[in-house]
Amino acid sequence: MDNQANAPKVLKESKNKIVVDFERTSLKERLRLKYLNISYAGMLVWRFFRFLLLMGVSYVILYPFFSKITSSFMSAEDFVDVTVKLIPKYPTLDTYKAIIVDLSYFKALFNTALLSLVSALLQMFICCIIGYGFAKFKFRGSKLLFAFVLLTMIVPHSTIKLSLYMKFKYFDVLWLTKLLGGGVFPWLDIIPEAETGMFVNGTSLDLTNTLWPLAILSLGGLAFKNGLYIFMMRQFFKGVPDELEESAYIDGYGIMKTFFLIVIPLSVPMMITVFLFAFSWQWTDEFYTGLFFSKTKMYLLPHLVGQVPRSLDTQYAGQSLFEAAIQNTIGLMIIVPILVVYLFCQRFLVEGIERSGLVG
Amino acid sequence: MSTKAPKRRRAASLDKRKARGGYLFVLPFILGLILIYFPVIIDSFRYSLSSMTFQDGAFKITFIGLENYQEALFVDTSYVKTLMGGIQSLIVDIPAIVIFSLFIAVILNQKVLGRAVFRTIFFIPVICATGIMESIAAATSSYNDYIADQGQSINTGALESGGFQMNAEKITQLFENMKIGTELADFVVGAVNRISGIIDRCGVQMLILLAALQSISPSIYESCSIDGATTWETFWKITLPMISPMILVSAVYTVIDSFTSESNQVMAYINNKYSEADGNTLSAAMAWMYFGIIILIVMVVVAVMQAYVFYQRRDN
Repeated sequence: MDNQANAPKVLKESKNKIVVDFERTSLKERLRLKYLNISYAGMLVWRFFRFLLLMGVSYVILYPFFSKITSSFMSAEDFVDVTVKLIPKYPTLDTYKAIIVDLSYFKALFNTALLSLVSALLQMFICCIIGYGFAKFKFRGSKLLFAFVLLTMIVPHSTIKLSLYMKFKYFDVLWLTKLLGGGVFPWLDIIPEAETGMFVNGTSLDLTNTLWPLAILSLGGLAFKNGLYIFMMRQFFKGVPDELEESAYIDGYGIMKTFFLIVIPLSVPMMITVFLFAFSWQWTDEFYTGLFFSKTKMYLLPHLVGQVPRSLDTQYAGQSLFEAAIQNTIGLMIIVPILVVYLFCQRFLVEGIERSGLVG
Repeated sequence: MSTKAPKRRRAASLDKRKARGGYLFVLPFILGLILIYFPVIIDSFRYSLSSMTFQDGAFKITFIGLENYQEALFVDTSYVKTLMGGIQSLIVDIPAIVIFSLFIAVILNQKVLGRAVFRTIFFIPVICATGIMESIAAATSSYNDYIADQGQSINTGALESGGFQMNAEKITQLFENMKIGTELADFVVGAVNRISGIIDRCGVQMLILLAALQSISPSIYESCSIDGATTWETFWKITLPMISPMILVSAVYTVIDSFTSESNQVMAYINNKYSEADGNTLSAAMAWMYFGIIILIVMVVVAVMQAYVFYQRRDN
């Protein structure tokens, strides 16, 4: 009898369906069991602290930007006023105006954009090609060559600073220029302002203040952090299954055709990642701009750093603080263009790295 | 036998063709290495062994042997000191960077509210915290230190690079009151002061580790949870061994990146020497010694970590 009472009561029965009524724990009870226990509380606490930590780190990352932005709107009076902390009392656009007019910001912006675009595009393609070679082909000496790729990453800049400068100041590969005997190459003149094609003693080319030093370094996969890009591309291509290319070979494609028609379209996210790195690191690079480009001949964004616009150069109590704020504003104006590029590309950054399975 | 021979030859020719393809793809790098990089390296070594003077519109290079190295090590007192200081601070920073980036990568790999936004923010330093920005930050923070030293009460709050200078003072006070050794207090203050620097240098490592975490198959975690492993156990027994090769990569990258970054004090010192008159070749000598130390440290890191790295066996 008892058994009968506990058994589920059939409410409705048809050929395909059966509706049963049984004693269910009440909703309140179920919610209590689910949410009011130690592990759920622990998870909540963990989630809370995790979120707090992320917020904190984001604050540390973003705070310098906020302080730079607000101090860029501050006028000279704000820096002697002790009550002003973050929000300017006398907001002004003078700092921006002075930087754009006195320091000819747009000229530097154009030159830097051209330089970064050219070298980033070259580096993207070259590193893609080299990385593919290392990932998919077995040939004698490939391990040694890859060790050299890593070596180019490890050698500190200052070790090769002097000799790099001398190399491109008196550029002469395989005595070619010596053979040509000091003619004038008008096609070397990429940027009109830059003085190019100058022969020193008729035996070598002065390539400083042109795009050539960076273009040549990029073409050889030797420019800033190219070792990292080659490594990234290699890891990416190692993750691409060999069967893909094999089937292309069977269909009659050659190695080149396979690479350009099958492999390149696959690797777009990774290439955009490399492009983003190359572009933004070239953009803010000080080493090469300081080495190969002089302020008067090829004016670039990094040259702005350390300058004080003439119209803001005044003598008063908070002057050095004001100058620090001007430097911060210059930094902000250098960063903002690549931040915009980053916001457009960041989707590919994570996607490219994730899909690459940068792991091998 | 006779039917097999031509087959084998054809296979060899395919290999050869693929090898040729490999050379073709790597050719730009080989050319760059032979035409630009090796000459530059050799020149640099030669310069470090000579002195350079500018005469009649041309550079004159004379061989002087190991004089530059001797001067760097024994005459220039601050070089060795800077080198030691630089290496010390980097040895503290490098584990901090690797552990922090691993931690953040693990968190960003979980389902967090606003994960996409956090990722976007966290990778900003990857593109921004290089070159110029570091030097601007260094310039303004040294200025802030100067203000703090002078005890002037001018408004520094607006310009602090990370907003941590004030907190450091408070922490120092806290430790002084607690009567703990000053070394520990100094260490903590140093670490807190460097937090923003450490975060700024974590970007690429975070990307590498995040990619590594993504590549672990979810089915492993599934089977672990079925066997009753907790998240904590899973992290130590599964996650960490699986991504250990990439932890090695990011550790090596951290070493290289922090040793060769322009904001590094040794690099700054060498660059200063470079811009001094007659300091050109001396700076090359210093940089060569520095390079030797970097190679040594990279080798030590790889050797130590190699013992703990777990390699999953792969088919090919």
